Amino acid sequence: MITLLSKIPQDLFGAAGYIFSKYGSLFFFGAKNTLYIALSGTIIGLIIGLGIGILRALPVYDYDSKLKHWIVKTVRIITSVYVEVFRGTPMMVQAVFIYNAFLPIFKNSKLLAGIVIVSINTGAYMAEIIRSGIQSLDKGQNEAARSIGMNNTQTMIFVILPQAIKNAFPAIGNEFVVNIKDTSVLNVIGVTELFFQSTTVAGIIYRFSDTFFVSALIYLFLTYSTTLILKYIEGKMQISGFDGPSSQTTPLIKGHYKAKEPKQ
Amino acid sequence: MIIEIEHLVKRFGQLEVLKDVSLSVNKGEVISIIGSSGSGKSTLLRCINLLESYQAGTIKFESKDILGSIKGINQYRAQVGMIFQSFNLFAHFSVLENCVIGQVKVLKKKRTDAEHLAMEILDKVGLASFANASVMTLSGGQKQRVAIARTLCMEPKVLLFDEPTSALDPEMVGEVLQVIKSLAKEHRTMMIVTHEMAFAKEVSDRVLFMDNGIILEEGTPNELFNHPKETRTKEFLQRFRNQ
Repeated sequence: MITLLSKIPQDLFGAAGYIFSKYGSLFFFGAKNTLYIALSGTIIGLIIGLGIGILRALPVYDYDSKLKHWIVKTVRIITSVYVEVFRGTPMMVQAVFIYNAFLPIFKNSKLLAGIVIVSINTGAYMAEIIRSGIQSLDKGQNEAARSIGMNNTQTMIFVILPQAIKNAFPAIGNEFVVNIKDTSVLNVIGVTELFFQSTTVAGIIYRFSDTFFVSALIYLFLTYSTTLILKYIEGKMQISGFDGPSSQTTPLIKGHYKAKEPKQ
Repeated sequence: MIIEIEHLVKRFGQLEVLKDVSLSVNKGEVISIIGSSGSGKSTLLRCINLLESYQAGTIKFESKDILGSIKGINQYRAQVGMIFQSFNLFAHFSVLENCVIGQVKVLKKKRTDAEHLAMEILDKVGLASFANASVMTLSGGQKQRVAIARTLCMEPKVLLFDEPTSALDPEMVGEVLQVIKSLAKEHRTMMIVTHEMAFAKEVSDRVLFMDNGIILEEGTPNELFNHPKETRTKEFLQRFRNQ
């Protein structure tokens, strides 16, 4: 053991290089799981968020039935409890709670537990991203769709969502980047992601800052390359003439239009 | 009579925007609605298209109460086209798709038929060559003409224009009014809220002057513009002449 430790170079970069070459496979295994959990958690979270976000932005009009008013109100309360609870508590606490509360289900797969936890947590954030994406659209888009006879579902699918998702794309992508980093809290329930693996390596060679310097570089590589890919996709969306609604009416006109309403 | 409005009342909270408005619109009639801002002109149109709910009174379309069935509301709206001040084109679609989407999704027409009609109507408003352009690249006047085309593609029985030229640069007003004039010549049923007095005088069969939530005076363009009876109407028209 003494001989092993004495082989490690004393300077930070030398030590990092040594650790990476010797324990690279452990880091790779962790990084793979980190990416896997972050990606599936973000995708499932986006699906949850779309559902919840749409439910939260569901319009209800005066001429709709009492029952519909009541249902919409109830749905809004339930969904906002979900969103507030999962945005208002640390994911680490959620991880420990959910993992242990559903231990019989997760006993054989901590990876599954990790994906479930990240998905539910991301879902709450995505719901808010989608809702604000929907609400940032000019209400004229909704009115125009209704005025040509579209029902709520058609308006949502063909007019509102394509624009809302496009506007929200940077925020959605950002959630993915955040998740790559935040999966590190899953080490608390023993998911073998990058942070967990780093702890293992550091425990073997007893060199913490050197080991975590390596894992920091790997995290940075993952997040930065993800950011670059997302930027590329964003650029593509812009070029295809898929532009946001904000530039549809000039600010002057919008202001004029809004200023008139309170008077009426 | 295609539209009958009886004792319509619309409130925003405490504010009564429409106070007991009654009006009937004949088939093929072109009605202009004038009046100062806040008189309830736009709200009246928005109530007819059910973009606003109302607190009392009834609106009948082809002798049927438009609130008769909730499911029927969307079908009703498709028959009563609305053109907005701020165009409200679907920003993520091309010009052609703006005109096609409603036909395909609401009227359940075949896409080829829908595109055929859309091109015909775009040609009529002089924008056939822009069919594949993104709506973002158009000028205000072109956008409003696309908006008119989008509405016409639904083959509505009534057209409602909510200040169609108020958001346009002065040099673009003409091209839009030209399109509306050509529609008036086809004897379509139209209700136009406008501040373009000369235009209202030219195209309308009947002009309504709204003030403070009521229809204060109505008559032929000649009666209303040249021989107004009410003092408020005279004052309003006077202000326009002085401009």
